[in-house]
Amino acid sequence: MIFIYLLSGLFLGWSLGANDTGNIFGAAVETRMLKFKHAALIAAIFITLGAMAEGSGPSQTLGRLGSVDALGGAFTVALAAAAAITLMVRIRIPVSTSQTIVGAIIGWNFFSGRLTDFRALLTIAMSWITAFVMSAAIAGILFQIFRRKINKSHLHLLELDVYTRYGLILIGAFAAYSLGANNIANVVGVFVPGRPFKDLRLGAELIFSGTAQLYLVGAMAIVLGIYTYSWKLMRTVGKDLFHLSPVTALIALLSEAIVLFVFASQALRNLLIFLHLPAIPLVPVSSSQVIVGAVMGIAISKGGKNIRYNILAKISLAWVIAPLMAFFFSFIALFTIQNVFEQDVKKDLTYEFNSQTVGYLVAREMDKSALSIVNGRSFDSEQKLYSELKSTQVFTPEEISSIIRIVEVYPLKVNTKILTDQGAINRISDQQLRELQTLEDLSFRHKWDFQQHLSQSESWRLIPNPQTEEEKLHNQKREEQYELLYRLFYYHPKR
Amino acid sequence: MALLLKTTKFVETQIDLFLDIVSDAAVLFKLAMDDYLKDRTSQFEDRLAKVRESENKADDLRVSIERYLYERTLIPENRGDVLAILENTDEVIDNIKDSLLQFSIETPEIPEELDDLWMQTTTASVEAVEQLVFAVRSFFRDIAAVNNYIHKVYFFEREADHLGENLRRKIFSLDIELSQKSQLRFFAIHIEKISDYAQAVCDRLSIYTIKRQL
Repeated sequence: MIFIYLLSGLFLGWSLGANDTGNIFGAAVETRMLKFKHAALIAAIFITLGAMAEGSGPSQTLGRLGSVDALGGAFTVALAAAAAITLMVRIRIPVSTSQTIVGAIIGWNFFSGRLTDFRALLTIAMSWITAFVMSAAIAGILFQIFRRKINKSHLHLLELDVYTRYGLILIGAFAAYSLGANNIANVVGVFVPGRPFKDLRLGAELIFSGTAQLYLVGAMAIVLGIYTYSWKLMRTVGKDLFHLSPVTALIALLSEAIVLFVFASQALRNLLIFLHLPAIPLVPVSSSQVIVGAVMGIAISKGGKNIRYNILAKISLAWVIAPLMAFFFSFIALFTIQNVFEQDVKKDLTYEFNSQTVGYLVAREMDKSALSIVNGRSFDSEQKLYSELKSTQVFTPEEISSIIRIVEVYPLKVNTKILTDQGAINRISDQQLRELQTLEDLSFRHKWDFQQHLSQSESWRLIPNPQTEEEKLHNQKREEQYELLYRLFYYHPKR
Repeated sequence: MALLLKTTKFVETQIDLFLDIVSDAAVLFKLAMDDYLKDRTSQFEDRLAKVRESENKADDLRVSIERYLYERTLIPENRGDVLAILENTDEVIDNIKDSLLQFSIETPEIPEELDDLWMQTTTASVEAVEQLVFAVRSFFRDIAAVNNYIHKVYFFEREADHLGENLRRKIFSLDIELSQKSQLRFFAIHIEKISDYAQAVCDRLSIYTIKRQL
């Protein structure tokens, strides 16, 4: 059953392998600098490596936008994204899974009555534009550097050819790695909260987590796409979209690889945080648009002649149309899957205002009189609750979000044996386990209630009002551990 | 990479050798012309033999370079252009050899008063070929310098045309048989043609240079 649900994600992966590998090796294969079989092998290896090593960052950003908490929902969301991308590619608009998956997730949010984190949406949408502009800027600067260096070096045409060829292989591998890291979130990111695979223990210390298994399956789908269909598209990308000389292809590829890496690498983000530099959000971006941006940057750097401005218009259009289209597809498909095929597409969450939750809210200095209109009531949709609270004109959107998190009913039962069964035991320290065991068999109705109990112990404590980036990183890690426990200790009230 | 660089270096050497031969053939043509005008017949024939040998060597090298470029899929984007340059440059040597051979066969009698203008036309044509060799070498190593050499080729071609015209006017102003005038005109045109071939290569080279520019 898991694999049937995963099929739509695998289709997305196949489409990514078929489409986006062309953006990396299209020019190299078309100019015959590289044979297809070599390009495909490099792409297959490095996309898989990238997905496994650094795929989690962009997945978390997508998770913030909307956590699709049922496998049926994830299946439908991925299917809607795949349908939208197929349609956009047919009308020759460069678009990628990044744009369609975002629209599809928001479609799920609307269908299941969940709120959309508009700040996360803004971060993602801004990243698409930033990635395009950044790619153009990097390519433009690199072009000037390369031109100066090559002209000064007086390299023989044949030697330049050899170096370019090896450059295309090396940078192609780097770009494939970055593509895998950045775009695996599009392929299987929506399946992460549903946890279709259990963690596997490989030896004493090594754990093959369920998420990593999911990334591997996604990467395999991408590899299938590379070997079955990318040949045709590589040639189309290399020939139709832009004809580049091998050296300019190398520059465009390097710019693409850098941009994809910047938006995917957790290690780079941590380094920037460590150096007290502004951190870049980890967001899946479109490799098609990034490479077009790079080509445009080179063209501008050359003097701005022969720029096809209609491509710019098409890309701007794609930023709006692709998510919208996926949104509608997703909404309609979710309705059909739930009502015609009777599949669970979401967890049925309720939001209760009782003495416990209201008491906790008042203790957190929320306006008691404003809460009186909802006191004693129960809601089955975040959106309805949001509208009700907003109508009081007392709470800010941030306050409403925190109220929703507090009143959400999320039944939990502590069972540390599950940690061992699911292979997640090594995700927490021995001290954390000991402190968790003190709550063994206790039940909680709310996440915050559980967290409040657990955070009394030192090893589970969050730093209040984190100021520095290191403190924020500490809290982020702790919150990830809490999220893991929420998923593992959740029990269905009807079960 | 080391293996591919080794092959590359070998092909580079062959291209350089090919261009050396073209340059040598042009200088030999000038020396042979001087020998002919000064009636040093046996020395002239020696030079013709050397040019013939050079032409054969150039043909072999060109074929060998073509084979390497295709068999090892080197410079896939530029190899068509490179081969066109080499083939067209090869035609310059063919033309040099044909001219000298024609002198050897027909042994035209050149009146002494034409000697100076004859040599000036020859020098201009040979200089065009020399500059062409520089331009082709730059195409491989220093793309920014190519146009400079191309400009010089065009200059010497125009100079050869101008001197050639003067030569033909002078031939027809001389008091000699019409058949001799006609024969000398044929040889004068042959000498001008050498620079025309050099110019034809440059016409292509300037386009290939634009293509190669970053």
